[in-house]
Amino acid sequence: MRSYPLLMVAMLLSPGPISAQEHQHDAMEPASACKDVKLSCADKATPFFAKDGSLWLAWSANGRIGVEHSTDLGKTFTPAVMANHHAEKLDAGADSRPQIVIDSNGGMVVAYTIAKGTDFAGQVMVTRSADAKTFAMPKPLTDDVISQRFVSFSLDPSGDVFAAWIDKRNLAAAHRAAKPYDGAALAFAWSTGGKDFAITRIAKDNTCECCRIGVAFAGPHKPAVMWRNMYPGSVRDHAIMTFDGDKPGPVNRVAVDDWKIEACPHQGPSLAIDAKGGYHATWFTDGAKRQGLFYARSSDGGKTFSTPMQVGNNERQPSRPFVLAAGNTLWLAWKEFDGDQSTVSIMQSRDAGVTWSKPRVAAATKDASDHPLLIAKGGDTYLSWLTREEGYRLIPLENAP
Amino acid sequence: MKHILAALAVLMLAAPADAAEMRPFARGSWQTLMQANAGKPTVVHFWGLTCAPCLTELPHWARLAQERADMRLVMIAADPTPGDIKDLSATLDRAKLNKVESWAFADAFSERLRFEVDPKWRGEMPRTMLIARNGSVTVMTGVADLKAVRAWLDREAK
Repeated sequence: MRSYPLLMVAMLLSPGPISAQEHQHDAMEPASACKDVKLSCADKATPFFAKDGSLWLAWSANGRIGVEHSTDLGKTFTPAVMANHHAEKLDAGADSRPQIVIDSNGGMVVAYTIAKGTDFAGQVMVTRSADAKTFAMPKPLTDDVISQRFVSFSLDPSGDVFAAWIDKRNLAAAHRAAKPYDGAALAFAWSTGGKDFAITRIAKDNTCECCRIGVAFAGPHKPAVMWRNMYPGSVRDHAIMTFDGDKPGPVNRVAVDDWKIEACPHQGPSLAIDAKGGYHATWFTDGAKRQGLFYARSSDGGKTFSTPMQVGNNERQPSRPFVLAAGNTLWLAWKEFDGDQSTVSIMQSRDAGVTWSKPRVAAATKDASDHPLLIAKGGDTYLSWLTREEGYRLIPLENAP
Repeated sequence: MKHILAALAVLMLAAPADAAEMRPFARGSWQTLMQANAGKPTVVHFWGLTCAPCLTELPHWARLAQERADMRLVMIAADPTPGDIKDLSATLDRAKLNKVESWAFADAFSERLRFEVDPKWRGEMPRTMLIARNGSVTVMTGVADLKAVRAWLDREAK
């Protein structure tokens, strides 16, 4: 000890600097950091209800993708099965999350995104399992080597799986040709009959590059997609398109928020379509026209939308809005933060979004948390929320008085 | 103890001598930073590995830092999921910003860290805060207009 007096002084004076050294990386982690590969250490968990009513989760923790299920609505889970075969560098984007779908043949398909290099490019990996006990070696979603991020997998009413994501192949091609190109592109592909995803196509060039995509179905093979688009002058407002199978539809603007920003908002929209075909959209903006979270509905198949309605308390960082149509009810969930705790607020509409119940707090936490998600099973609706302190919770939502 | 100290000495010496140390930005760090820079005009730039425009913009900040030796620049990596320190440091190295005072979000409770910085900040990046000698703050959301930053520096230099 006596041999190191100067070093000791240096250490005492140092406020805890960290260098690029691997060993000192631990010093960066908060005390609550979780190093295990298990649900309680996961940062994201995506739910899916199987036909038999069991709840499946795909989660990401320390580079691994785990899959586990519960037959008692999330009270207990089976031991996790790993969907990727070793720890990988996962896309750290706030809106990136593992995807899980069980198709009409009972085949499970899981997707996740790995970060490529230190750049802001990603690669979507897909793996399948027939028995949910072992997963095939994950394969890239597409042969294209440029970049795919923010993939969304959804089960089409036909039983096929629809994938949509943000793709940079056209950006790279434009750069090769020394041509300008704003943002990235919206891409999509179908997997039918449990087969691999067929040809991947670009549906719309010039989208924002860093936000999740909202997907809902207007009917079999009619997915509607909502995304943060790029309008001239880097205005990042939301657009919507309804596909007819492989055919992208016209691009309609959800609202003119006029958010002109050369930045990554890191907050994508959410979309639902009710049983009568009404479209319900929710999103975040910080535009010149309006700021905060908003909801709007469309009764003409997503062509035109109602005047956006403000959602949440703008003094409390409202974020991550999610909309779900279940039976005759619409649900909206979002996160707020009051400087001490994060809460998930919920509100409900029984008249297709014309009027809404007063927001109420469904859950709270005092540490890091995943985005709040809504999921329905039969006539019941649940909040699916993973929080660092409380772990995974599936919270049944009561009807508003 | 001797072994631990020896190991620490190796780690500390292993860092490049002229590279700025990246500090963990945790709960309370913003207050520490503000106290340390009180009364000094400071440019705080928030960036992230998950933010494409940020990475494009980094070299512009390096050029401005070279041009304006009078600029107190603080870089804060604010990825919502704490970024890998090796990647963050390598990125700053490549952009020639490795000598600038640098911090990185080190807590997954990013809402809380952002709230401490500015309750109005929803996580969009890049983001620049110009903190004047008198403490008044100018926020620039998105890729910063460096002309405006130069003009601000000139005003603050008077």
